[in-house]
Amino acid sequence: MSNRDFLGEFEHIVVLALLRLADQAYGVTVRREIEARTDREVSIGAIYATLDRLETKGYVKSHLGDPTPERGGRSKRFFHVTAKGVAAVNRTRRALGSMTEGLDLVRRYS
Amino acid sequence: MTKPSVVQPPRLAVWLVNLFTPYEQAESIPGDLLEEFSDLALKSEVAFARRWYWRQSVKTIGHLILSGFRSAPWTIAGAVLLGHLLLPFGFILPEKIIVAVLRIFPVYPNYDHKNVYELWMFWVPLAIEIGWIIAPVIIGCIVAVVAKAREMLATMMLGLSFLGLRLVAIIVNRPGRVLTRPDILLGLIAAFVIGGVIVRKIRSALSRRPSPAHC
Repeated sequence: MSNRDFLGEFEHIVVLALLRLADQAYGVTVRREIEARTDREVSIGAIYATLDRLETKGYVKSHLGDPTPERGGRSKRFFHVTAKGVAAVNRTRRALGSMTEGLDLVRRYS
Repeated sequence: MTKPSVVQPPRLAVWLVNLFTPYEQAESIPGDLLEEFSDLALKSEVAFARRWYWRQSVKTIGHLILSGFRSAPWTIAGAVLLGHLLLPFGFILPEKIIVAVLRIFPVYPNYDHKNVYELWMFWVPLAIEIGWIIAPVIIGCIVAVVAKAREMLATMMLGLSFLGLRLVAIIVNRPGRVLTRPDILLGLIAAFVIGGVIVRKIRSALSRRPSPAHC
């Protein structure tokens, strides 16, 4: 995987949600965080498909927590962003910032 | 409004999610859905929570199907191709076996010629029908085994590609004798998928071990 890869739009949102949630980031909290902040309904499947892709790229890591009764005895899978993932976020933000720099988006297109 | 003490999500939706969830996410995805469902059922109407569960399940299955294809397209394509190669054998093999058995071990050797003929007329069509019921299920099982953890995707693809090929054959005016009947076509596709479900359930049962968190 190239070190110059940028995050896709939803990948970017998911990684930022993981960074916000710190050690409490698992499927339910990530989904709720994204829904609350972006006002868009997201499915658990979309979250896990993206997290799976990010884990393959080495941007996030996961571990299983303790099983809990409200989950029918199933474990939570907690996710955290790796240093490589943080670098990808910074690279993507820089690229987006560079692309939008000098554009008067509000005045021109609103 | 009174609520039952333990509210369960729709069983069919739970079953479908479990079928399509990868083994490594067998704890997390159904667990997350159940946790949110229970929370929603406590805070609002149970019917609303059930609708939410169905909506989430359908979207989740859609995403799991797409990500499954993206992660192993060649494995799925190879398994589907194998299924198509096995189909002709699957349909004629039971008939051949029963005819061979009847030739080697005549059931009623003292019968006269007429009765033997009648016996053949009974067994051979039955063999064909048995073959047409069991063979696609067995082929579905083989395809599911070859597809590794993507049993449902591979068997669904086998069914859809089989349907596609039959439609092409009908369009170019080369239909088979019986395989243009919609009920038989749909039955065959269902049989492939049933084969996938059987393998998936067996694998799920075998892989159900205590997680490291239990230790």
